Amino acid sequence: MRAETRRRWAIAGLTGPAYLWLTLTIFLPLSAMLWFSFQKKGPFGRHESEFTLKHYEAFFNKAYMQDLTWRSLEMGLQVTGICLLLGFPAAYVLAKRIRGRWREALFLLVVLPFWSNALVRIFSWTVVLRPGGVLDGAVQFVWPGAPSIDLADSWSAVIIGLVHSYLPYMILTCYLSLQAIDDSLIEAARSLGASAMTILWRIVLPLAIPGLAAGAVLIFVPVIGSFFEPKLLGGTQGVVIGTVIEEQFTVVSNWPLGGALSFILLAIVLLVLAVSYPFLKDRMRTT
Amino acid sequence: MRKAGLLTTAAMALALSAGLAQAEELHVLNWQGYGTDEAWAVEAFEAATGVTVVHDYFNSEQEMLTKLRTSPGAYDVILVNSAFTQQAADEGLIQPIDTARLTNFAALSPGLRDAPDLAYDGQVYGVAWTWGLTSIAYDTTEVDPGTSINILWDPQYAGNVGLRDDSVENVAIAAIATGQNMNDPADMDLIRQKLRELKPQIRTYWSSEDEWNKEFSADSFDVSVYWSGSASRSATAFNLPVGFFIPDEGAIAWLDGLSIATDAPNLDAAYAFIDYMDSADFYVRWDGEAGAPASANPSAMDMLPDTAFNKVVLSKPGATDHLQFMAPLSDEKREEFLEIWDETKAYFAE
Amino acid sequence: MAQPWEGEGMSRHLVPRLADGMGRVFLALILVFLYVPIAVLALMGFNESVHYALPFEFSTKWYEALASNERLLTASFNSVWIALANTVVATVIGTMAAFALGRFRFRGRTVMQLLLFPPITIPWLIIGTAMLVFFFWTGIGRGLHAMLLGHIALSLPYVIIVIGARMASFGPELEEAAASLGATPLQAFWRVSIPVLMPGIVAAALFAFAVSFDQFVISYFLAPPGISVLPVEIFSAIRKGFTPEVNAISTLVIFVSMGIMLAFARLSKFGGER
Repeated sequence: MRAETRRRWAIAGLTGPAYLWLTLTIFLPLSAMLWFSFQKKGPFGRHESEFTLKHYEAFFNKAYMQDLTWRSLEMGLQVTGICLLLGFPAAYVLAKRIRGRWREALFLLVVLPFWSNALVRIFSWTVVLRPGGVLDGAVQFVWPGAPSIDLADSWSAVIIGLVHSYLPYMILTCYLSLQAIDDSLIEAARSLGASAMTILWRIVLPLAIPGLAAGAVLIFVPVIGSFFEPKLLGGTQGVVIGTVIEEQFTVVSNWPLGGALSFILLAIVLLVLAVSYPFLKDRMRTT
Repeated sequence: MRKAGLLTTAAMALALSAGLAQAEELHVLNWQGYGTDEAWAVEAFEAATGVTVVHDYFNSEQEMLTKLRTSPGAYDVILVNSAFTQQAADEGLIQPIDTARLTNFAALSPGLRDAPDLAYDGQVYGVAWTWGLTSIAYDTTEVDPGTSINILWDPQYAGNVGLRDDSVENVAIAAIATGQNMNDPADMDLIRQKLRELKPQIRTYWSSEDEWNKEFSADSFDVSVYWSGSASRSATAFNLPVGFFIPDEGAIAWLDGLSIATDAPNLDAAYAFIDYMDSADFYVRWDGEAGAPASANPSAMDMLPDTAFNKVVLSKPGATDHLQFMAPLSDEKREEFLEIWDETKAYFAE
Repeated sequence: MAQPWEGEGMSRHLVPRLADGMGRVFLALILVFLYVPIAVLALMGFNESVHYALPFEFSTKWYEALASNERLLTASFNSVWIALANTVVATVIGTMAAFALGRFRFRGRTVMQLLLFPPITIPWLIIGTAMLVFFFWTGIGRGLHAMLLGHIALSLPYVIIVIGARMASFGPELEEAAASLGATPLQAFWRVSIPVLMPGIVAAALFAFAVSFDQFVISYFLAPPGISVLPVEIFSAIRKGFTPEVNAISTLVIFVSMGIMLAFARLSKFGGER
């Protein structure tokens, strides 16, 4: 077999299983959903198929939908930003400053919260954040007479809960990239007189971009569509576009609108990606 | 009571022995923890009929419909709220009930038994089972409730009110508060305005009984909209200081019926089960042990002790004068209510 | 590859030492943050109050209740088996796909990368509903097979993205070097690429497991009546009465997982070869 043909077979064989799977289970159903989003009514019940753009127009006509989408985007940015600020240094310490058995153990510890059930975990946050809860108790213990801490049912609670759930993603993906950086590079730069800042900015960060980007994507994207963390933690502040989408399926039978809003969300995500990709590509380096 | 129990059991066994040879299954679709899955009830039914009861659950009426649509032949008995019975019948998801096969049918309260919402095209599609109220619950240690629905808007309780995150319910509350028909309000703008006025009042939303209990125990809110059956449970089973009243302006009432799915695999067991659910001795034990909404069977209600929560609430004079029952709503109406509610929530979050 | 200046005598200057110390303190604080709700979750499993009310009163009654709660226990076992099956399949086919996407240039590569976004952007509720309807139409229906189909599909993007990130940090030089030394592509893949990618593969497997184990929306829609998994039980229990039994089982799950992970860690050096 010629090299070119062999190569083609290799690509097809390697990507085939995964993408066939995705096609059958996600892309085809989503295409059906996309088709529904242009229909007047959902797929059940007796009615004719009627093409309409009204569900997409609804987004542009109704102020509250745009407001809520902004809220979701803000939520995504805040959570991703905080995860970057906290996760990257943590990953750096883990990848570069800890050795041997400790590193493995800590790596595991970072990952372990993934195994707690999300619902129970989020609920535990309410126990921590509510007045009379764990945090309040701790503060009172250290400083009796302090004003009562009441973070429950607030935007802050939502952000805290989401950061907590998604931080391990960032730590892990950054770890994967940072750990790949050859220490000799850093040491060489240091011995040439480079300051820590320079090393960080010109060597470490560019090499870590794949990890940072992957982490950002794995956090930002699901967060903007999330609905149950805002619902459970946010009280009246916990209204986001995710909750509106969910309601189209659980309160009314308006799958077309739910689908349309989801695809608009997807379009926004792809837009953000399109904008940031060239910027990242330029700055990225590989060893 | 023993006698009634034996009679019911005998009736069930007789009804079934006609049709069954070996141990079979009955598939029930309902809310979790809503009577049909009480451990003792399932055991009693299995002991009497030899049929194993298998439950599947839903978390919203829309999910119930979706499950029915995508699982033909998977279910026998389904809980269908009377506001949805006709829709389910129209879609061919449930079958007409042969009321002659139910020994308890004739004895049900006529108003509920013959409710037009439970019938479609001249036939009965839902057997009236339980009904209840959505009204005002309050913390008895902190609140002196008065008799008006406007307690929800009372500045004295600013930041201390809990609302269910449900569009139909909240539009209905606003409709009642503004003297309108909750199933077909004439003035939607007035409702919008009334809802917006709740902004300083609301502490948080709740969406399930359990969430309500947890928030209430944590002292999140002192006044809220809540269900009668759940209030009964919270007070008796969980010992929470819950008071419940029906305002002068009226309250929301709802009726749950038991229906049989089209293509139900085990019809005989389905009828036997529905009969058992509507029996007095099932209901009395259910309310006594776990707390329940009101039964459609008046003799069952009579058999409750006088201190039973539901009895106390419903026996107040004039209690049931201004109740509005939830009726079927068109998809467009539901969507309109949802939009109003979503706009309101967005406004509250600003 | 340990360098001579690493190990205990690493820093010769005070400032790097201080920075080191601060770094470790920072990491410790992050871990504290990660574990606060976990600790609360575990503690509440031992708290007397059914409403999670404080003050704390020790009680093992929830664990006792759990021991006889067949429904929760069966659901947990189901979750674990499904998650394991999911992890194995998703990691294997995901690694293959990530490798191809990372190493080869071909037409349609960008589109394939972009296609990884819909599954993670679109709320799982939508995907679940779409899957349910589509499976219904195509006769796949509901069932364990459907659930597994769904779980693996949702895990794949995570696996591919994570391994992709790891690959992007390593150029193709190592494999090229192996090839120039006479290794076949398969040998290069097996003996060079895989070990280098191992931390990524492990991380991806961990994600896949977590995605499946915690997945309630897809499970909820596609599970056949009668079969349940833990997240669905917990989610449905919210209506009925979410008692601390749920905390008890969640805590047990965490400890069992920790045990499995530690055992796995002993067997493979996934901290990375460098």
